[in-house]
Amino acid sequence: MNLRKLKFTSVIILCAVSFVVMAASSQTRNKRYNLHGKVLGKNTATNEITVKHDDIPGFMPAMTMSFKIKNQAVVQELQPGDKIAADLVVPSDGSDYWLENVRITDQSGRQAARPTARPHMLAVGEPAPDPPLTNQDGNTVRLSDFKGKALLVTFIYTRCPMPNFCPRLSSQFARVHDALKKTPDDYRKTHLLTISFDPKYDTAPVLRKYGLAYLDNDASGFAHWDFAFTTPGDLRKLADAFGLEYFEEGNQISHTMNIVLISPDGTVARYWATEWTAVELEKALREQAGKATTAPPQNAARSR
Amino acid sequence: MSRRSKVVIFAVTALVSLAALAGYLWLGQTQFVGDEAQGQALFVLHCADCHENENSDLHKQPPKLEGLFRSKTLPSGAPATDAQVRKTIIEGRKTMPAFDQRLSEKDVDELVRYLHTLR
Repeated sequence: MNLRKLKFTSVIILCAVSFVVMAASSQTRNKRYNLHGKVLGKNTATNEITVKHDDIPGFMPAMTMSFKIKNQAVVQELQPGDKIAADLVVPSDGSDYWLENVRITDQSGRQAARPTARPHMLAVGEPAPDPPLTNQDGNTVRLSDFKGKALLVTFIYTRCPMPNFCPRLSSQFARVHDALKKTPDDYRKTHLLTISFDPKYDTAPVLRKYGLAYLDNDASGFAHWDFAFTTPGDLRKLADAFGLEYFEEGNQISHTMNIVLISPDGTVARYWATEWTAVELEKALREQAGKATTAPPQNAARSR
Repeated sequence: MSRRSKVVIFAVTALVSLAALAGYLWLGQTQFVGDEAQGQALFVLHCADCHENENSDLHKQPPKLEGLFRSKTLPSGAPATDAQVRKTIIEGRKTMPAFDQRLSEKDVDELVRYLHTLR
């Protein structure tokens, strides 16, 4: 064997060995899965998108989840309604997962996902609907029970596992509740109402348990914050009136995060979608409470 | 080509190959296989977002899960048994949502197995 041939053979062996090592190390550190799905929402502040994804064979069934994307330009480009294909990267060191190589495969859904498709959404100043609801104690409550008070309404389901969705809503409502409690006059003139869109699972006992977790086990807080469910038909009416979009898919519910402020006269005062803080909600509630011309009724219609 | 050159080239090649083999074995040891790998992926997707990442938006910061089974009791005070952890995952607890119908029985098995490896 001459020197040149030996050198060439050695270089080939070295390259092959390096390749094997690199391939082995990259494969052992990250698991990659093909993901196909539809973008439901995005958060440019946290570089996250919410995707309703298809079944990922051998890994997880179809569901809706939030995913980080490292490239902010990609998040800005994506719009709700887009169908995408991407690589789901799950590091084996337990650190957070993310999406890579995101490709938009279909943009035709953008129009349908826009909030214009809400024919029945109430305008500010219109009276809120008044279907009967069942609260955490099994009692019937109606939005009209809270006339004379500023009422903050939102929608959740207790099994929602995404920290930036329902847990965030309830956590921030808890902050509003705790802040108002420090001002007895405003506390008396305000009320919080959390409505479930999972009446099959979120029965009165489930909602009571859920509410107590956010009220730090103080059941007296239910006098200021109700957790309620209603029939699927009335839920749909309420959702349409307040511009809420939700749909069930198998074992979970995809939904938008809407908060509605009802003024003491029972009309819609304001909406929030995604951009809000507990401090803003609290301030708006206090302002509306100040508009109450008469003292609020002492919940005479409600039996406790 | 001298005999010395040949020896040097073979020695370098052999050393690199040995290093590569050692590296592969070392990486192989830190990698989870089978159910634990699956459990780890499920943990990252369903648990880590709340339990591992600080999130000031949440009412209560959920407990870290390292060493969950090393203690006799869970953060709730309940006994640290597989049955209790399974119950918590499936039914939820306090502000933790129930993963009922979201994770399969097999998923929960894999998660519990992975939680045992967190030291």
